[in-house]
Amino acid sequence: MLENQDMSVQEAAAVVRDAHARARRELVICAPLVYAAWGLVWLLGYGAMWVSVRGQHPYIGPSGASIATVLGLAALAVAAVVVIISKTVAGIDGQSVRYRSIILRTYSTGYLILICVQVAIKSSVSTRTFAFAAFAAPLLLAGLTYVLASALGRNRATFALGAWLVIVAAICAWQAPATILATCALAGGGAFLLTAVIETGLHAHAS
Amino acid sequence: MVTLATLRDGDNLSFTRLQELLELTPGNLLTHLRKLEDAGYVTTVKSGSGVNARTSVSLSPVGRKALDNYTAVLRQLLDSASSNGTSPH
Repeated sequence: MLENQDMSVQEAAAVVRDAHARARRELVICAPLVYAAWGLVWLLGYGAMWVSVRGQHPYIGPSGASIATVLGLAALAVAAVVVIISKTVAGIDGQSVRYRSIILRTYSTGYLILICVQVAIKSSVSTRTFAFAAFAAPLLLAGLTYVLASALGRNRATFALGAWLVIVAAICAWQAPATILATCALAGGGAFLLTAVIETGLHAHAS
Repeated sequence: MVTLATLRDGDNLSFTRLQELLELTPGNLLTHLRKLEDAGYVTTVKSGSGVNARTSVSLSPVGRKALDNYTAVLRQLLDSASSNGTSPH
């Protein structure tokens, strides 16, 4: 493997290290960026909705502007994630492509079902129940999807994030609408951002 | 081989992307890959035809093991050299 017999062990190790670092930079999806993007959506978007409902007596729901903020941030995050992933995985084929397809189909099908459920129950359930379905259920779905992704990709950080999101969403079932929004923003968005920091450390260690 | 080892097990990389990453000419890369394929370290698969033709390259289990052994030996040499205070050659 070492063709140049004059190359010292240190030089050979440096060549391997540089090649490994470059290959990781080019071929491995930058998970911290993806987590950070979604973390900001949850923290800022849900934070905006929470601010808009905080002083409501009785509760009437988030303002149109705060909902538009969530949708705008989510659209930006989707665009950023699509660009990051498609640029990195260009030319890669095989098992990870199949895994990504499974994860994407699971999440999109789940989200579609969730929207149908929200429309169906909107007029027949209490404000509190609808707030759970509208605000915490997407977090539950995201958590379950991350648990699935961790099982396919054997990633502990992803599993920890997914399990935490499921727990946070479950806790929301006992909370009032405004508290659900605050919990999702802080415990949900915060967990995404914390995972981004942890993954950055793991990436640096692996390089 | 290090580039291909970055991929997950069961993944492969297109010849074109590998060429871009390594900044090699097609002929040069082909020569390297042939040698590695003869040694059983990489596998190349051609699929499609015409404009859809694709050559994909992946690291074989033997290649991954050989690379692991190679890097382990390098690490051992560096560790023993640093503990002895000598420069490894």
